[in-house]
Amino acid sequence: MNELSRAQIRDLMAQVLGNQGKVLPGDDAAELREIGFRSLDFSELALRVEDETGEELNFDAPGLRRIATVGDVLDFLVDLQRQQ
Amino acid sequence: MTLATPRPSTAGQPEPAGVDNPVVVGGVTLTWRALPELTLPAPAAVLAPDARWALAAARHHAVHGTELLLTGAGRVDEAMRAELLDAGFTVTALGDSGAAHSSPARPRPAEPGRLWLLTSGSTGRPKRVGHTLDSLTTVRGAQPERTWLCPYAPGTYAWWQVVTLSLTQPGQRLVVVEPEQLDDWPALAAAHGVDAASGTPTFWRRTLYRDAAALARVPLRQLTLGGEPVDQAILDQLRDLFPAARISWIYASSEVGAAIVVHDGRAGFPVDWLDRPAPGRPTLSVRDEELVITSPYHGAGLAGAVRTGDRVQVVGDRVLITGRLDSDEINVGGSKVSAGLVRDVLTAHPRVAWARVTGRRAPVLGRMVVAEVVPTPHAAPAVGEALDEAALVRWCAGRLPEHAVPRRIRVLTEIPVKETLKSDV
Repeated sequence: MNELSRAQIRDLMAQVLGNQGKVLPGDDAAELREIGFRSLDFSELALRVEDETGEELNFDAPGLRRIATVGDVLDFLVDLQRQQ
Repeated sequence: MTLATPRPSTAGQPEPAGVDNPVVVGGVTLTWRALPELTLPAPAAVLAPDARWALAAARHHAVHGTELLLTGAGRVDEAMRAELLDAGFTVTALGDSGAAHSSPARPRPAEPGRLWLLTSGSTGRPKRVGHTLDSLTTVRGAQPERTWLCPYAPGTYAWWQVVTLSLTQPGQRLVVVEPEQLDDWPALAAAHGVDAASGTPTFWRRTLYRDAAALARVPLRQLTLGGEPVDQAILDQLRDLFPAARISWIYASSEVGAAIVVHDGRAGFPVDWLDRPAPGRPTLSVRDEELVITSPYHGAGLAGAVRTGDRVQVVGDRVLITGRLDSDEINVGGSKVSAGLVRDVLTAHPRVAWARVTGRRAPVLGRMVVAEVVPTPHAAPAVGEALDEAALVRWCAGRLPEHAVPRRIRVLTEIPVKETLKSDV
């Protein structure tokens, strides 16, 4: 299947924030709360990943985990693609 | 709101009052009287290959009053044909080489005066709704002389609205647009002096999008919109083009007839029209965000209050009809969003000609609002910003709650349209 790299997902995340006039910091440890990346943005990012790969992500598969930083989001989506 | 008063049925009357009105069909001008004379069984389900045959069947019913279901040949597949035969209809395919009849397995007595409509079937298989010529005739009383455009598919509710007007009222001429002429109807309309036209908002948007200059050359004095939610943006665009015309929107359906007519150029209807019973008029109510209509002009077997399936929202002093209940509401993480209201915000953008808003499955929130838009063909000079996803998201973010802002917006090159002249929403 088509799989996006961590860097490609990072670009999409920058686009999501950019559409709202916000900037994605280079530091993966940046807190989502600090940069204003919320659940609506997370959902949008997931749709963008789906549109790029042409595959639906299966969010039922992974267990709950804490997503608090930019790195958490990227790790989560990278992992999720591998679980399809 | 237009007052529609009851009058005796015309079934069986020998001469409809508009029989000498001119009718332009297939580019040829004739009159109702000069259309081909048909011999039809009863009850008959007539499949018309084109507009001329459909008009001939309508006149036949107006003169003879025999039970009739009329539709375009393309709308009846094998399953529907079997259903009609099973319901006792003789299925009659009209054409230049004569009529081909298929007899029902179990013939039944005909019901004089009965007219059947096949609903558009946007939510599944078409179903039959019973009417009479009288219950389909909305406009009564003296009207100014007009030349009406008829862009609708034969046998639909909207088609009958225009057809009954021309058949029953002297001075109401008709110019019929065949499906293949639909893209260039303004040229045909201008050539034949069309000064009144009725169409869906999608029909008008598509016409503005293709060639607004050609539309402006049609000498329109009456513009009517219906069949889909009517938003302020399309009313304003038509007003700009036709400042002196009367611009009306109508809420009508096969089930409840024509129930709301608004002439003030604004979307929605005044909130004080709600729950005002008056003899001979439909009563409008809202229950659980659904428009409920009790109408003297509903289809057969639909007496009493009819739940329309259309969602309404009160905004200020107006009641806006936003879309179908089953598709209008999008639940974004527990917050309700009206697709129709989001669509209105998008179409209010000066560079958007058309928009469709839907819900899409999304993680965390369940669903998200997404949209498709078609840009206007020529950039509005006052708006320097390019029309891209980010610009539209910013436009919506300034006008909608955060959860209602469409996050994925696809830009299409052409306005999609169905045979009913509605967008597939």
